[in-house]
Formats: sequence, structure tokens, C-alpha cells
Amino acid sequence: MTSWVDVICIIVVFLSLVILSNSRVTAMIRVFALQSFVLGLLPFFLHISGMSGRVVMISLVTIILKAGLVPYILFWAIRHVSMRTEIKPILGFGTSIILGAIVIAGAFWVSLSLKLPGKPVSDLILPCSLSTVLLGFMIMVTRTRAVTQVLGYLILENGIFLFAISLFDEMPALIEMGVLLDIFVAVFIMAIVVNHINEEFEKNTVSVGRSKMGETF
Amino acid sequence: MLTILIATPFLSALAALLPVSRDFRLKLFLAVSVIYSLITALFWKDLPASEYNGFLVLDSLGLILLSIISFLFLSVAIFMIGYFQHEQRSNRTLSACVLFLLSTMTLVAVSYHFGLLWVAIEATTLFSAPLISFHRNQQSLQATWRYLLICSVGIALSLMGTFLLAIAAHDVHTLLLPALLKGAPLLSVNWLKLSIIFFIVGYGCKMGLAPTHSWKPEAYGQSTGMVGVLMAGVLPQCSFLALLRISQICNKTGLTGFYSSILIVSGLLSFVVPAIFILGEKNIKRAFAYSSIEHMGFLVLGLGLGGVGLFGALFHMINNALAKVIMFLTAGSIAQKYGSSRTDDIRGVIHIYPVTGIFMIAALLAGTGVFPFATFHSELLILNASIISQHYFLAAVGIICLAVMFIGIGKIVLGVIHGQPKEPLLAKKENVIMNAAIAVAVVLLISIGLWMPSPLEHLLHHAVTLIGAV
Repeated sequence: MTSWVDVICIIVVFLSLVILSNSRVTAMIRVFALQSFVLGLLPFFLHISGMSGRVVMISLVTIILKAGLVPYILFWAIRHVSMRTEIKPILGFGTSIILGAIVIAGAFWVSLSLKLPGKPVSDLILPCSLSTVLLGFMIMVTRTRAVTQVLGYLILENGIFLFAISLFDEMPALIEMGVLLDIFVAVFIMAIVVNHINEEFEKNTVSVGRSKMGETF
Repeated sequence: MLTILIATPFLSALAALLPVSRDFRLKLFLAVSVIYSLITALFWKDLPASEYNGFLVLDSLGLILLSIISFLFLSVAIFMIGYFQHEQRSNRTLSACVLFLLSTMTLVAVSYHFGLLWVAIEATTLFSAPLISFHRNQQSLQATWRYLLICSVGIALSLMGTFLLAIAAHDVHTLLLPALLKGAPLLSVNWLKLSIIFFIVGYGCKMGLAPTHSWKPEAYGQSTGMVGVLMAGVLPQCSFLALLRISQICNKTGLTGFYSSILIVSGLLSFVVPAIFILGEKNIKRAFAYSSIEHMGFLVLGLGLGGVGLFGALFHMINNALAKVIMFLTAGSIAQKYGSSRTDDIRGVIHIYPVTGIFMIAALLAGTGVFPFATFHSELLILNASIISQHYFLAAVGIICLAVMFIGIGKIVLGVIHGQPKEPLLAKKENVIMNAAIAVAVVLLISIGLWMPSPLEHLLHHAVTLIGAV
């Protein structure tokens, strides 16, 4: 089922671009949830002939953690209304899109010279995962809100995950679970810190000014 | 045995989360640290058997780290009892996270699978983050955020490195260290090179090597002294263990030159950058953080140079940890007494608290590597290795930067111990328990500086052969 794998890879990159060009934090979280859900389906399509308990487990855990719990925690972290729109990103949205396109082209160009050993399932996995990692970096660097930076980190993580799925055999399932769990705990702790930052800023609204709420630096 | 060592602190951490009294948490932490140290001491006689199909193995490198962990946590456990005599805040999050940290660090020391190693190191990052914001204010939250974000990204890059290593090891079909070493000729060199770059950037970020060090002064500056000890003394060395494991593979695949050239450059940067920033510094803990960056530079430089330098680097792991105990516990004890760690607020330590004042001078000497403290010997070994391998420029820069660091830290330390305090102080008396914890580290660091016991020398030599550098 190579064609489905290709489709999923393209969708993942496309959704990263959507997040890059979006200004509403809630919409960004929803798109991220969708991206993770699509990624969670990927192990099914990769192993459609030899379905094993391990494949099902990794798929399910990914979907529950990344498409369910993580977005839920992020929504909890931004329940203060003033947090919900992105304010003045360092790069404008138009510029981000153009730069994003250049980044994707660069990722495809780089991966031309990298050859995966063995028989790769799809030629698109490597360039797409590289693009997603780089787009995640871009979101982290160009946004000033704490929550959007977390989202950038998560997209970067999704890019790495896409890459990891293609090497299914080398990693024991338990380790894979450990990786997912670590990422989940990371988001959990980040959400708590974001929440504390908001509370601190609310206490000091007079000196700081409401417009700075939720900004980290 | 290894499972017990990992599980005990973990379960105790869960117990510390329960609504129990502050004293119970402190005693629990002390008890766990004592038991932990006793078990580690037993391992010096006989290494335990491997567990879980070779996923958990303790070798000489792991034992060095494990000994550092056990000593540091024991010191902190003792110090904490003294500290909380003058502190009203709840210690629930603090003690739970410290115990979780102990458990995950043990996992780092004994994991023989690169995936598991990554999981453990990421977990140490996560559990140390809440420790920084113990004084919950704006600055400490910002420091936590910066630490969490920079290190998470760094660690994500090393996850990428782990997967790239998996591609390189496509024909070996596993990421277990012994299998990788055995199947070294089967590894694909180009993918391995790519993974090495990601590993150095990723784990180097967690170690606080120069271009990615910016979280260090913030995080160490905002955390309390006890947390500073753990974050400066063991946390970076856990990542250094990962770099040591990678060097084992590099030495088998003939990539030693490639690996060491990157390490030497990042070591050099880690010398120069703190030397630039130290002179304008006005906060004791931040100054010590810059010193920590420099020590990390020494570690990677020693690893990069190999030979005597590698022995020096392994020795420096121990010395650095002991020096960090002296530095950060003293800074923490002063910060509690004066309610600040800014040099403008602290004056006349030696007149009011003579013992703490002496420890402060010891911290200066230990941190900058002055004889008879053992840091002197390990730093000398590493500089020696750079001269033997004819990197004269490197040795010159190293010595100049060391001199600048000495002036910078000396200015701060001598500034705070002399003079007259501005305001009346919070606690008039020295705390015996806190001082005892520091005194043990001072005595230990001086004694291994004067005479190296043969079991330690044996262990270090065995660790050097394990890495297999030429």
C-alpha cells in the first residue's frame, strides 16, 4: 500500500504548513491533533499484510496520546481567553509560508543524496520527515507565545516519529512506548509551566501589561 | 539488583507525592540515599549481572557515574535536612522530583541500549525542570521554560541521532551496545557520521557545551543550591556518558578522527565563551554556572584528545562532581542566609559565618582547579594531553581562559566574603548539618588530590580500556 503511505506523508507536511500559516492557537492545536491522528494510522498502512499486535499497539498509543491527550492538555493550558491568538510573530505569515516552501524544497534536495539501506517502503518518508522537522523548528523560532513554541516542538517530534516508523524493526516496542511516554510527560510539564507563567503575568499585569501575557521572552 | 536500584527511588518518589509530613519526606530521601550508596559500594567489589536480555548492564563507565550519583544525592539529602530547618515552603514537588531524578539517572548509568539511554536522559530533563522553579517567581519560571525548551529540542535532535544510528546499524538489527561493537564493520559509515553529528549537538546541548549553553546560567542562577548541585554535578555527566558510549562505537569503526575533531572544537568554544562572560557577572550561582560550562569543555576536550586526556576526562568527571557539591551547596547556604545570591546584597561572609566563608574560598579553589584540590590534577592531565598531541594553541587558550576564570570567580568570591553587611540577617547561626555535608566533599576532593587510592585508579584504567581509544 505504498500509495497510501505517500498520501499520509504529503498530508503531514501540508498540515505543518497550515499550522505555520495560522494565527489562532486553538485552530493550530486542532490541526496538530489531526496531523498526529494521520501519523498514528501510518503503521497500519505500512504493515497492512502482516498485521501484528505490536503494530496495533503502537498505532493506538500514538493516537490516544498525541491526538487525544496532548491536545487536551494544551487546551487546558490556554483556557485564559487572552492567550488564544498569536500576536506579532517575528516573521509575517506570508514570509513564513514562502520560507516554509523553500525549506521543503531544501529537504527534498538534501534527501536525494541520502539513500536508506534495505528496501524503503516509500521514497517520500525521508524528505517529508525532514521537512516536518524543519518546519517545526521554524514555528518554534518565529513565534513568541509559549504555547506556539510547544506546538513547534511537537511538530518537530512528529517529523522524527515519521522517520522512526520507517525503521520499525530495529526498535523494540517497549522503547518506542518509552519515547512516546517521554514526549507526553514533556508536554504535560510544559503545559504546567505555561500555566504558571500565565498566573505570574496576571499577578503583575500593572507592571507588565496585558499584551505581554503568555510571551516567554 | 539493578532493577531494585532503579525501582526503590521511583517508588519512594511516589510515596513522597502522598500527603505526608515534610520531615517524613526528608527522612525518606535520606534513607533511600543511604541504601543506594551502600548498594553502589557493594558494586565496587563485584559488578552485578546484566538484566533484561542485556538491556541493563553495569560496566566501569557506568560505575563511575553511579558512584558520583550516589555521593551527590547523599550530600544533598544531608544538606536538605539542614536547609529545611529554616525554610517554610512545602517540599513535596522538590523531594518527589529529586527521587524521580535519582531513579532515571540510575537508568542512564546502566542502560546498554541507545533507545533506552535516550528515554532515560529525556526523563532526567523532565524531572529536573520542576526543580528549577522551586521559588516560584517570574525569573525562575522563565529559566525553567528556557531550560525545558532548549533541552527538549536538543534531546529531540539526539533522538534523531538514535534513529540515524538505527539506519546505520540496519545490518546489525539492534541498538544494543555489545552487538553494535561486535558488528562494527557492518555499520554504514555515512549514516553513522550523520548520527554522530546529531548526537553531539543533542547531548552537547544537554551538557551545556558552548553554542547551546544559554540555558545554564539562567537555570543554575534561579535554582536553589541543592538543585544546582544535582543539575551541575550529575545531569550533564549523564549526557557525557552517552558521548562516551558513542566514542566506543567510533573507536571501533575508525571514525575516531572525525569524532574527536568535533569534540575538540566544541571543547575550545566552551573554554572561550564563559571566559568572556564571567568578568561582568554579579551573581554567585550564575558565575558558578559559567565555571560549569568550562568544566564540560574540559570533559569533551579530554575525550577528543584521547590517551592521557581520556584518563583525565574520566577523573575529571569525579572531581567536577565533588567541586560542584562544594560550590553550589555553599552558594545555596549563603543564598538562604542573605536571601539573595547577588553579589551586591552579600557582604562580610567570613566575619559573620566564618565556616561558610572558608567553604566559599574552598569553592573558589576547587572550581578553578588549584592545588591540592583534585580538579588541578585532572585539568593538568587534559592540558598535558593537548601538548602531547601537539595542539599547542589549544593548551595556550585553555591556560589563558583558566586564568580569566580564576580572576572572574575570585573577584566575586573575595568580594562577598569581605566587607560589612548592609542589612540585619535572617539566621545568625551556622547550620552544622549543612556545613557537614560540604565539609565531606572538601575533604574528599583534597584527599584524592593528594593521593589516588588504587581501586579508583584501577577503575579509571579499566574504563579507559573499555572505550578502546588508540
